Amino acid sequence: MLIRSSGLVIALAVTMSAALTAQNAAKPTTVGGCPAEPAAFHACALEKAKTFTPPRTRSGKPDLQGYWRGRLAQAFSVEGVSGNEPLVGSRVMPWEKAPPMIVDPPDGKIPYQQWAIPIGRIGVNHKQYVDPRTTCGSGGVPRLALQDADQILQPDGDQFVVWLFEDHHVQRVIAMDGRPQLGTGIKVTNGDSRGRWEGNTLVIDVNNFNGYNWFDDSGNFYTDTAHIVERLTMIDPDTIHYEVRVEDPKAYTRPWTLVWALVREKEQGFELLEEACREGQRDLDSLLKAGFKYYFDPPWRGR
Amino acid sequence: MRQSFAFALAVAVFLALPTEAAAQASGLPRTPDGKPNLQGIWQVLNTAAWDIQDHPARLGVPAGQGVVVGNEIPYLPAALAKKRANFENRATADPESKGYLPGVPRIMYMPFPFQIFQTPGEVVMVFEYDRGVRNIYTNGTPHPRGPLNWWLGDSRGRWEGDTLVVDVVYFTDETWFDRAGNFHSDALHLVERFTPAGPDHINYEATVEDPNVFAQPWTMRMVLYRRKEPNVRVLEYDPGRLMDEAQARR
Repeated sequence: MLIRSSGLVIALAVTMSAALTAQNAAKPTTVGGCPAEPAAFHACALEKAKTFTPPRTRSGKPDLQGYWRGRLAQAFSVEGVSGNEPLVGSRVMPWEKAPPMIVDPPDGKIPYQQWAIPIGRIGVNHKQYVDPRTTCGSGGVPRLALQDADQILQPDGDQFVVWLFEDHHVQRVIAMDGRPQLGTGIKVTNGDSRGRWEGNTLVIDVNNFNGYNWFDDSGNFYTDTAHIVERLTMIDPDTIHYEVRVEDPKAYTRPWTLVWALVREKEQGFELLEEACREGQRDLDSLLKAGFKYYFDPPWRGR
Repeated sequence: MRQSFAFALAVAVFLALPTEAAAQASGLPRTPDGKPNLQGIWQVLNTAAWDIQDHPARLGVPAGQGVVVGNEIPYLPAALAKKRANFENRATADPESKGYLPGVPRIMYMPFPFQIFQTPGEVVMVFEYDRGVRNIYTNGTPHPRGPLNWWLGDSRGRWEGDTLVVDVVYFTDETWFDRAGNFHSDALHLVERFTPAGPDHINYEATVEDPNVFAQPWTMRMVLYRRKEPNVRVLEYDPGRLMDEAQARR
């Protein structure tokens, strides 16, 4: 297990990408008894969820606790990667051909408003800006859940659900007690998360984003008016159907939905390791020297 | 072996302190396991982030009574010289100025809130400052096999009566204790004690052992106060991001 820690101090984008490629190479054909393709998985998982009874915490809530890893997800583009994309087979940070993770709309494309298409769809963001995750910040919601391992805890009292991510030591505290949303003057990277149980599904409402995050390596984006609703449902003891509905009146013409799976990490004695990032950061200066800009004045600003 | 020793120690301490434990048993909120319920948002109300020792006011620094028991830190001679140099160069030499994780115990007394969560096997602390996370395993597992160098170390906890005792090792030599240049090496070994003193206060104690820097162990002591404002939340202060943002706008 501890072999994983060597080199963790430096989170090189190149290394990460290579690791993901290696993961994709060993792709299973099914996940949780459902097809290993996001749209087919989605339909199958919704059916399975109707009959599966999840384990319970001692207070009687569905028990989602444990260590998880994203599956059916890839880091390059939520819209999928066509075989024609020049970055497929590239020597540096090669992309892999992949189906879209978007299940609605059915064409698998983000319903961007016209102005946003040349920014988000392997556009201005990708070509002119440093990926915000590369600056050692949070990967953001929902991208966090497709990076390294994560951990869900349901602490005593059921007032909160805690979701910890190994990737750049990011944490999300999800308030489950019906408290009011933060004032709109407070913007936070991972948003303000408030959750509730709908049957066996953990539903998380997320607001108050600062809009400094992308969905993926290619620069698909939301702005500071995004509202995200995540739905986590166990479909068997080791698989969570993870559905993410995104709306953002500034950037899209309609809400849209992403799906992937979270699969239980079952390695004996597994624990999250400390992944410091800024403390060993070496990539950023060269990217800035090459002319890439920080994403703090994103091209959607002023919309 | 190590676990059975720890267990024996815990039993011995428990047996030694039954009256104290019983006296504290009333009035404290408890988890379903009967442990003190430390969950909630906490913050210090002291000036340890600036200087853990007694210090007069300086421009931008509130005067403060130190948190070091006895106030003196038993530096070895060479280490004392380094501490003084650190103080002189603190504006740029302090790891805080680079936006790095501040280490333990420093993250405990940064002037930002943090939240404690408890499950049967773990106590988790989530910090507003730099998205810090401490996973304190209370499931009886030992420290992993080293050597490891982690900014927040590796924390293993156990309950001694109503006190959460946390053993922390595997640090880096790149973190300090405060903005005044007090420092340690990667041989730092910390034993923290969290003892509830009523529902809204925790007596926090950290014993510091580091033979590379100090002639003998020494201890810090302070109070953690519960934040009680309605809807109080741990927000976000990501120093690295804020430094990058300031640089981008320069």
